[in-house]
Amino acid sequence: MIQSADDIVRGSVVHADICIVGGGPAGIVLALELSRTGRSILLLESGGEAPTEQARALNIGEVAEGSLHSPPDTYRQRVLGGGTSIWGGRCVPFDPIDFEARPWIDHSGWPIGYDEVERHYAAANAWCEAGEYEYDARLAAPNGMRALLRGFSPRHFDTNGIERFSCPTDFGSRYRNRLRSAPNLRVLLSATATRLRAARDGSRIDALDVCNGRDAAFSVVAGQFVLAMGGMETPRLLLTSDDVHAGGIGNANDLVGRFYMCHVAGTIGSLRVNGAADTVWHGYDLAADGTYCRRRIAPRPATQAAMGLSNAVFRLHHPRIADPAHGTGPLSAIFLAQRFISYEYAKRLVSDAPPSAKTWLRHGMNAAIDSPSTARFLLHWVKARILADRKFPSIIVRPRTNLFSLDFHTEQAPNPDSRIGLGSSLDRFGNRQLRVDWRYCRQDVDTVAQSFDLLGQELADQAIGQLTLAAGERDIETVVRRDGAYGGHHIGTARMGATARSGVVDRNGKVFGVNNLHIAGSAVFPTSSQANPTLTIVAMAVRLAEHLSERVTRVPSIRESVN
Amino acid sequence: MPDSIDYSRKPVLILGASGFIGSRVAAALERSPIYRPVAASRRSAISVDATDMQSVLRALRDVDCVVNCVAGKDDAMVRAAQVLCDAARSTPPRRIVHLSSMAVYGAATGSVTEDHGPVEPVSLYGRAKIACEGIVGRYVRDGGDAVILRPSCVFGPGSTQWTTRLIRLLRAGRLGDLGAGGDGGCNLAFIDDVVGAIVAALDAPDVSGRTFNISSSADLTWNQFLMAFSKALGATPIRRIPGRTLRIETRILAPFRRVAAKAVKAGWTEAITPSLAALFRQDIRIDSGAAQSALWLHRTPPEQMIAAVLRDNRTKQELAAV
Repeated sequence: MIQSADDIVRGSVVHADICIVGGGPAGIVLALELSRTGRSILLLESGGEAPTEQARALNIGEVAEGSLHSPPDTYRQRVLGGGTSIWGGRCVPFDPIDFEARPWIDHSGWPIGYDEVERHYAAANAWCEAGEYEYDARLAAPNGMRALLRGFSPRHFDTNGIERFSCPTDFGSRYRNRLRSAPNLRVLLSATATRLRAARDGSRIDALDVCNGRDAAFSVVAGQFVLAMGGMETPRLLLTSDDVHAGGIGNANDLVGRFYMCHVAGTIGSLRVNGAADTVWHGYDLAADGTYCRRRIAPRPATQAAMGLSNAVFRLHHPRIADPAHGTGPLSAIFLAQRFISYEYAKRLVSDAPPSAKTWLRHGMNAAIDSPSTARFLLHWVKARILADRKFPSIIVRPRTNLFSLDFHTEQAPNPDSRIGLGSSLDRFGNRQLRVDWRYCRQDVDTVAQSFDLLGQELADQAIGQLTLAAGERDIETVVRRDGAYGGHHIGTARMGATARSGVVDRNGKVFGVNNLHIAGSAVFPTSSQANPTLTIVAMAVRLAEHLSERVTRVPSIRESVN
Repeated sequence: MPDSIDYSRKPVLILGASGFIGSRVAAALERSPIYRPVAASRRSAISVDATDMQSVLRALRDVDCVVNCVAGKDDAMVRAAQVLCDAARSTPPRRIVHLSSMAVYGAATGSVTEDHGPVEPVSLYGRAKIACEGIVGRYVRDGGDAVILRPSCVFGPGSTQWTTRLIRLLRAGRLGDLGAGGDGGCNLAFIDDVVGAIVAALDAPDVSGRTFNISSSADLTWNQFLMAFSKALGATPIRRIPGRTLRIETRILAPFRRVAAKAVKAGWTEAITPSLAALFRQDIRIDSGAAQSALWLHRTPPEQMIAAVLRDNRTKQELAAV
């Protein structure tokens, strides 16, 4: 059942076998998987079924360097479904190399192997509605997917890896009926966790303090607690809960909130492809199961090792929208419509700098001169995106010339100085707001620069095309700083480690030293991979559900008592 | 009548023998060393009007058991059950195996065993099946020997309702990935498994007066099944059907298609009725554990069911049709 916590009487105690905090993809998948075990499950979501201003205000926080990182109340969604209510749906599994301790990347390596996550990817694909677990371009579509660049067979890059796209599935609306009808499951909306109450000896969580939308406080007592609050709220709640554990729960070794990673991502360079237009395919192919699939260009693991690179991926992209030199009507139409595009998407599509009147005019001219393609693009967008349930994933515009840019999405090396901490301002419940201090390091910049150069070299060697940088992009660090942290991916702030010295949680996601507290979501990822995190968040949630269903002892079903 | 009939085999009267299930039961008994089918329908060689007392009484005279597969209009099914039980009171067969349906559970959700009561809304078909079960139940209380089987959606070669219809809708792109509309439990009873359970029920010990769910699939959603079936049929890429489109199908188009279906049997006249759409959403899992132990119910895995359908000539003809 789904209920509002606003109806819960102040001072009440709500009991459950397992209490999951956070109704995003991890929390929803955990709740639905665990509800089948016969145990009583309580899922707390701070927001409601639709976004509200009151919930959004709880996301507000400080950012140390505003030009590098989005404000914490953007991208994050306090609503049932969490980030999936606005995500783009890109699903990519992590690579085996992501789990290895790589000598050239400090603090790399997971305490679990790739196979432990890999065996849950099929289920994660199903939850994300991203079709079958098949990420090889030669097998994903009937007769294989079209070649990205005909004749290109690079030594250092793999072009057969793909990304598959979810609908994109908003877990809140897609699984609402199941959350309502699942036996033994109670979802409380408008229920904000404010503090974890540890036992006097710190070895377990006795209760969780919760406030509802009317600011009435109540408690939850559960056999197990799972925090599935995302990579920012999870460290915030742990750090806030410092009454027994000085410095916060799980923070004996000062790891909570540290190693904060996003992805280093942006659009760079221009690639002029030799030959006719049909030598390039930068769009989507449809798998037999109906999912949109797209090839990527990824540095091979051996190349990463030889050159000391972090994991990375490139995608062939239309030219930078903001620059009217592309002369392409649909791209200029998008530029002109930027005020109708949400912050999260506009940030990547258009320019940070305010455009001049001349720029506006040139885009207007492009859209007018190229009006037949603009009209075709808009018609396709309405049909395949706005009206479709499985949405065409992104803007694919065939440039008028064989001129493309490259999207890059690279792993960010774990860095203890990049961190989420507590700021000085207080939220509505009197808790300190977030403070984001995102940092990148030399390794992050070098990965982009070196893999870009290497790709350019292979494209030139094989006479595929010329990859060049614009004058303002020659210093790659400028590009990294221009595009900043990839806003929606919050990783590593309660990292998994083999021991309490290297991690906040153990291989099963249990907080070291606390017997009944687990963490789900990308907060536990020790490294960030090249892949977008949602698919792996879901796979890890399925894994955690399997672990918890074996572990939790049965206690009486959900009951409520008034003290 | 062929000379080779072995009169030492026990004669089993099959009412509704020209129907999908009845004809398959007849064929199975034809191959049996123990039983001999007496296939009766209005159209078969042995003509029996299941709603006519005299006709049924005559048919009961020389048979050992009866399998009641009478399908058709709801009131005719109820009438046939009443006539059969009344006739059986004066000329009792050793056992009646009566075919009911999972429709008797109505909108029930969760894991459903035989003791689960009906949950509203129950379809008119479901009500008729409940009424039939009531009649058979009274016959048992009066001392008769009867077993009631409740198959789920009977799937297999020749099933117009759960096979041909689905093939047509999938190939037309009108069914596929239904999103939240396809999260319901897909309870398919493979025809061979149903026939096996019927034959087993003729002589199984300690089943008199009992009722059994008959279902082959477990823990399968309609989305999973429809997508696997689409893929096997080559009806790809599988379309995601928005909820909005399903609503237009059920609320606006279905009545027109049903009228047209009286004249033409084709993909475009297959209706997605509100009850069909509701079934795709219904989170019901038919528990056939009792039949597995008492009737040795075999449960064919979904991929084998699909493979059997693809091998069948009727499917090949359907696929050859544009």
